[in-house]
Amino acid sequence: MPADPQDLPVPAGRSGPARFREDPVLTGRLRAARVPATYVRRAGLAERLTQGVRDHPLVLVNGPAGAGKTLLVSDWARSRGAPDQPAWLTVEAEDNAPGAFWTAIRQALDQAGLLAPETAGAPLPDPTARPAARLAAELAARRSPVVVVLDEFERIVDPDTTAELHLLLRHADGKLRLVLVGRNEPLLPLHRYRAADEITEIRAADLAFSAEETAELLERHGLALSADGARVLTERTQGWAAGLRLWALAAADAPDCEQYLKEFEAGHSTIADFLLAEVLATQPAETRQLLLRTSILDRIHPALADALTGRRDAERILDGLARTNTFVSWVNGSWYRQHPLFAEILQVHLRAGDPSLPSELHLTAAHWLHRAGLLDDALRHAVAADAWEQAAEWFVEDLAVEQFFTPAGTGVSAALLARMPAGVRGPSAELVRAARALAADDLEAGTAHLDRLAATTAGLPDNTPLKLGAAFLRLVAARLNGSADAAEEAAETVERLRRRLPADRWNEHPLLTVRLLTDLAAARLWAGNLASARATLLAALARADGAEQRDRSEPLALLALVESLTGPTGRAEARARQAVVEVEQARPGGRPAIAHLVLAQVAVERGDLAAARLSARHAVESGADRCRDPLQAVITAVVRSRLALRHGNPRQALSVLGSAEHPGAAEDPSRWARGLTALAASEALVVAGDTRAAVEVLSDGESGGVDHALATARARLAGGDLKAAVRALPDLAAGAPAITTRALLVRAEVRAADGDEHRAQRLVARALTTARPDRLRGPFLEAGP
Amino acid sequence: MRYEIRVAGAMSEVMLDEGFPELESFVIASQTVLVGRIVDEAHLYGLLTRFQNLGLRVTELRQLPD
Repeated sequence: MPADPQDLPVPAGRSGPARFREDPVLTGRLRAARVPATYVRRAGLAERLTQGVRDHPLVLVNGPAGAGKTLLVSDWARSRGAPDQPAWLTVEAEDNAPGAFWTAIRQALDQAGLLAPETAGAPLPDPTARPAARLAAELAARRSPVVVVLDEFERIVDPDTTAELHLLLRHADGKLRLVLVGRNEPLLPLHRYRAADEITEIRAADLAFSAEETAELLERHGLALSADGARVLTERTQGWAAGLRLWALAAADAPDCEQYLKEFEAGHSTIADFLLAEVLATQPAETRQLLLRTSILDRIHPALADALTGRRDAERILDGLARTNTFVSWVNGSWYRQHPLFAEILQVHLRAGDPSLPSELHLTAAHWLHRAGLLDDALRHAVAADAWEQAAEWFVEDLAVEQFFTPAGTGVSAALLARMPAGVRGPSAELVRAARALAADDLEAGTAHLDRLAATTAGLPDNTPLKLGAAFLRLVAARLNGSADAAEEAAETVERLRRRLPADRWNEHPLLTVRLLTDLAAARLWAGNLASARATLLAALARADGAEQRDRSEPLALLALVESLTGPTGRAEARARQAVVEVEQARPGGRPAIAHLVLAQVAVERGDLAAARLSARHAVESGADRCRDPLQAVITAVVRSRLALRHGNPRQALSVLGSAEHPGAAEDPSRWARGLTALAASEALVVAGDTRAAVEVLSDGESGGVDHALATARARLAGGDLKAAVRALPDLAAGAPAITTRALLVRAEVRAADGDEHRAQRLVARALTTARPDRLRGPFLEAGP
Repeated sequence: MRYEIRVAGAMSEVMLDEGFPELESFVIASQTVLVGRIVDEAHLYGLLTRFQNLGLRVTELRQLPD
């Protein structure tokens, strides 16, 4: 029996809540590779790297698989003293998108300690800027340049990401030295770097071993070959590091290495393929089996290897292989990895032995990794084994549906299941389809999948995680179609179901609670329950603070919205700015539309139209007008209407409100939403000169609020009915400063119309005093001279 | 689109059968010549990446008349 992963010392944090990515420190992707004892130090190339990062912003190390790129740069990086040690990132397939890429780069800089204190004194860069621009500003503020190595950069083929990287190099003011290591040239405009003498290039020909270096390598492997032999071998392999290394391993087992070289020279076979088969053939059967079977793994744990071989000797074998630097190297903790080139070739041999074996091994690995709590890895292998139904089951069982909705970007597991083909059976697959649809704001398809799920599981035994996942998705759907009752019901169902789960299982998913409370609050806000929405958002924020990966941008943005409707403008602004900053931290490039809308509204109140326009544009860039969230749709319409009005265009102000009639995925606006649009409409109608309609429009919506009373008073005043205006005015003590200021101004205007200039001036003075702490110029601008 | 791809060295049977099952092949003058129908560009670039990943050196690539 292979060791049970439950008994393994799985490192802390692995089974914890932060499952969106594999722990980067553990996977070893944030540090240079270990250099084996047999490594031949290449002083000339190291010197070129040192000069490169001194003289040029860009250093390229390009060469084929197995050319020795990683070891060269690792050895160089590790030999540099502490202050000069570069930040390191080994790029993974998931990094090939701007969001993930910039998050990873920041992680690497952070890990190397290159971001923090030195920039602390500098002015804070604009948090709304794009991630590359922001990072450029932070780097430009440094005193000395930082060196960043990006290994396996051939994986970055996304043109947007490389374009941003180009911008980063341009704008970092010489404080960034980028070393790109990979098999292919990056998509940067290299000709421009070459023309401007801004690039150092180390290419395949430079990486090729000289006959002297070959001789040194063989010596380190304990082989005695003549100088002539070293020259012949270098020619036959064209100085290819992987070929030389394999030859050394193969020759070590040959009785006479000069003779072995003669045979090798005479042959015409491709080098790696042939030599690898030779080396493999000399290994004991159990080692051969282990190497072949673990070639499907990105990272090898001895117990996992045992599970794949059905033996118990993997630890001993892996340790021996790593010591002699045969195919395997030590990564971190108890994990090993195979050289990627050799793993690829071994996989071909594995398939050749038994075409069905890789699939079986993937499935075994998936089960082991799942028991070890490594969901992302488990799903990768389940998907490779085409076991979609199993993958969906684990995903649901792990309460991972939240991954589809996190603002920090879709999690790795969710991204894997996003590719699930049609026709996969089972209730979990149905739930995954519902989550996929709802994450894409497709309310109709999402609801249809949920209904089908409910129908097919009606008679089946209870499955708490499945039901909980379904209730969670019902809440997401309820928010989209603006149904507060359905939202409350779904939230109650989740609450009831989660009590059936062990407490720690639920607590491992703080972001699920955060998302749940946020959606519930949005539904409550939509229903006009501002006080309970506020309390729910504060609860969401409190839960998010306890989470390892804080995810507060949406609750913060919604709280900013509640504040902007009820409280001091300054507090709303502070919350909204915090939301913008936090979304940048969680997902560089992400833009919370609601926060930008609140900032636009705040700028209107301050009378700063340029800032309001900019925030509104940021909101539109973050998809404010395409969004299917009804709340956001209505707020977008209202803010655009106010902006049009301040620009002197009341007709346009009225027409943009039309889009709030069928907001997002909801069929109708709620009574509360009607109240908001009625206010904006009334203001526009006053400016348009239709004061009768301005009063009428207010009688349709939800009445009784102080802002409605104020709007009625202003409409009456504009219509010349001073008595009715005074009657309509709200109690001055009740409202937020913006309301009180406007009410005082209406009174002043009434007094002025009565000819009582003295009292009018005193009222204006009071209005100014009220407005000053929040710097509210807006009310004075809209009231006119 | 039919293509001919030449790789330096004689590839092993295992590598040809399992690594590139969709292509016919023969060995000539220390080169492996692989010939076959390539469905589209995605296939072509995927194939080139496969050669690269397996440490094989492509020395020639050309489209053949149909």
